[in-house]
Amino acid sequence: MSDLKKEMAFGDRAGGGGRGGPGGDRGGRGGREDRGGSDMDRGGGRGFGRKKVCRYCADHNLKVDYKNAADLKYFVTERGKIVPRRISGNCAKHQRQVATAIKRGRQVALLPFTVMAHQ
Amino acid sequence: MQQTETQTAAAAPQHAPGTKLREYETIFLVKPDLAEDLVDKIVERMRGIVHRDGGKVIKVENWGKKKTAYEVKKNLRAIFVRFLYLGGTHAVAEFERNLRMTDDVMKYQSLKIADEVDAAARAVEADVKLPGDPEMPERAGREPEAFGAPEFGARRDELGDDVELPPEAE
Repeated sequence: MSDLKKEMAFGDRAGGGGRGGPGGDRGGRGGREDRGGSDMDRGGGRGFGRKKVCRYCADHNLKVDYKNAADLKYFVTERGKIVPRRISGNCAKHQRQVATAIKRGRQVALLPFTVMAHQ
Repeated sequence: MQQTETQTAAAAPQHAPGTKLREYETIFLVKPDLAEDLVDKIVERMRGIVHRDGGKVIKVENWGKKKTAYEVKKNLRAIFVRFLYLGGTHAVAEFERNLRMTDDVMKYQSLKIADEVDAAARAVEADVKLPGDPEMPERAGREPEAFGAPEFGARRDELGDDVELPPEAE
């Protein structure tokens, strides 16, 4: 049920990208192969792909700050959940900081606890 | 109200060099329909409270009227004020107690920024006043905007190709 909703939610965002009609939902697949090398860069595949680097480790001037809601939005899903480390690519240290920052941001209404699904 | 006038007058106490205090930060949300001079009045009163307690206000930021991420006391907006101050253990308790008594303050959060700050050496910074979010008429029954990155529950290869994933740094 919730999966279906999720797909629907993506459906209208994704436009035509790989979500044609019933049965043709893998339409976008071919496009992936075409991308060739760049596909490997995206780190989306299993087994190989680029190692993600923590944003905050890459840039030492960047500090995790709960007041900076714009930056923290990257680590929050559209439903308001905290994005896991395996997706965000954060290192353990910074993921902890990000998680507490998001929780603090929620407390002062800078970030949502939850966002209602469309419909 | 009489009392608040006298509190406002409380000047910043002079700290002897080497006085160690903790640095705190408090953010509080004021009701969005409150007039600007009344917000300033609250700010001045809170400043007086910190000073009366032997603390030192470093900086006051008024972020202006901003959209909140969720309804706070039935309001979709709030005026955000951030206080940065030095004080002892009592300072925060007193600060929060006064916020609680102020009806126009909807929410607050205090955080310790640093231990053992030299009160005499820490320079006072200029107050900041930000304009806040642009005022836009709220359409009735409008759906909330999509927020943040897409849900991670779905497998990556099930997502459409133009779905944006959380950014991956180089």
